[in-house]
Amino acid sequence: MRESTHRLGSGDKGMTSLFSGERVSKNHDRIEACGALDELGSVLGALASALSAAVLPSAEAATTEGASRLGSEIQRVQGELLSAGAWLATTPGSASRGMLRPFGPEPTGHLEAAVERIQAALPPLEHFILAGGHPVASWAHVARAVCRRAERQALRLAVPASGPDPELANILAYLNRLSFYLFVAARYCNQLFGTPERTWQG
Amino acid sequence: MSAAEAPSLTAELLGRTWLSPRVFQLELARPPGLSFAAGQRVRIHRGPVERDYTLACGPAAPTLRLLVRLVEQGVVSGLLAETRLGASLVLSGPHGYFVFRDASVASVFVATGTGVAPFVAMAASGVCPSLLLHGVKRPEDLHYRVLLSKAAARYVPCLTEGPHRPEDPDPAYPGRVVAWLRDRLPAGVYDFYLCGNAAMIRDVTLLVDERFPGSRVFAEGFH
Repeated sequence: MRESTHRLGSGDKGMTSLFSGERVSKNHDRIEACGALDELGSVLGALASALSAAVLPSAEAATTEGASRLGSEIQRVQGELLSAGAWLATTPGSASRGMLRPFGPEPTGHLEAAVERIQAALPPLEHFILAGGHPVASWAHVARAVCRRAERQALRLAVPASGPDPELANILAYLNRLSFYLFVAARYCNQLFGTPERTWQG
Repeated sequence: MSAAEAPSLTAELLGRTWLSPRVFQLELARPPGLSFAAGQRVRIHRGPVERDYTLACGPAAPTLRLLVRLVEQGVVSGLLAETRLGASLVLSGPHGYFVFRDASVASVFVATGTGVAPFVAMAASGVCPSLLLHGVKRPEDLHYRVLLSKAAARYVPCLTEGPHRPEDPDPAYPGRVVAWLRDRLPAGVYDFYLCGNAAMIRDVTLLVDERFPGSRVFAEGFH
């Protein structure tokens, strides 16, 4: 049975391989960025699980439908993060980049459409809100914060001297939009499950 | 990178050739529409079970060739060893990214056992490595020796069990591929392509980090 990542112990001394083959330290900026995307994908998995568990059989159809749509979007985002991770794990200009599917602006467009749809169902925001509320909303806030970190770490890969990197630019825009999507998703989850938002009175 | 895909191809089994007591080569009719790069795999689906096999033929080959090791209690390899000629196999693919990238520095191909399959495909597509090491237990396991010794600038068979015959005009190295690399490969920067068992990939990768810094490693393991 073939196993492309089966390299038992080859990273025991703190090195790993980029998709473009270079051996780098596990705290290399590209690995840090990929790790943050991996963490984000995992948190989104927890969010999706919590969302699924929170919808009781007795739930109203609107709740079931809203949660189902959100769950599908989260799953699509998890796949897009894997694609983004492949790009971040590949040195710009390497032949290996030719093996990857382009990361274009379309995923960002999907997020923008989803934000618009969700915001239309939410009351306007008049105060700062505190992260939390329903456990599902709390997971969405955790995902949002991890997404912001992933964005900061991906930004470190933008080196002006190495020339334009359209894929990285698209990924940065995507992460920026994704964190906002997760913010409105958190608010939506509180609404979906009847949990009041906590405002900051500072 | 692409997501997993459902089986969508069928291929007629045209031939089976036993290369050694536990390794055989399958020849399949090429399904229409299947294009692949040398070094990629197809996935064979038998009910709920699936296994990946690297295509041991070039992208332009009229038929497909797979190199299969008969695994002890292996479900798919056992079935493939007995499937009647003319039967159809269900496939998906191509899969994988273990393909030749570019040739900016000397390429070192390292295989153990049937891990030589992608290098057979690359040789058939005109890739010429500076060095190709093939590690096996015994001489009868050195499949495609003639083809590979012509394709590579230097071909080194390595035998872990022997017999060792230093008097042969083209003697095999008595030991593991990692020992040859450690003792005989000059310091430098290389592109290493590794395909074989996990222990070989681990040991060669650690050696690269220690002895050949700046090199690139592309690896595909199997168990």
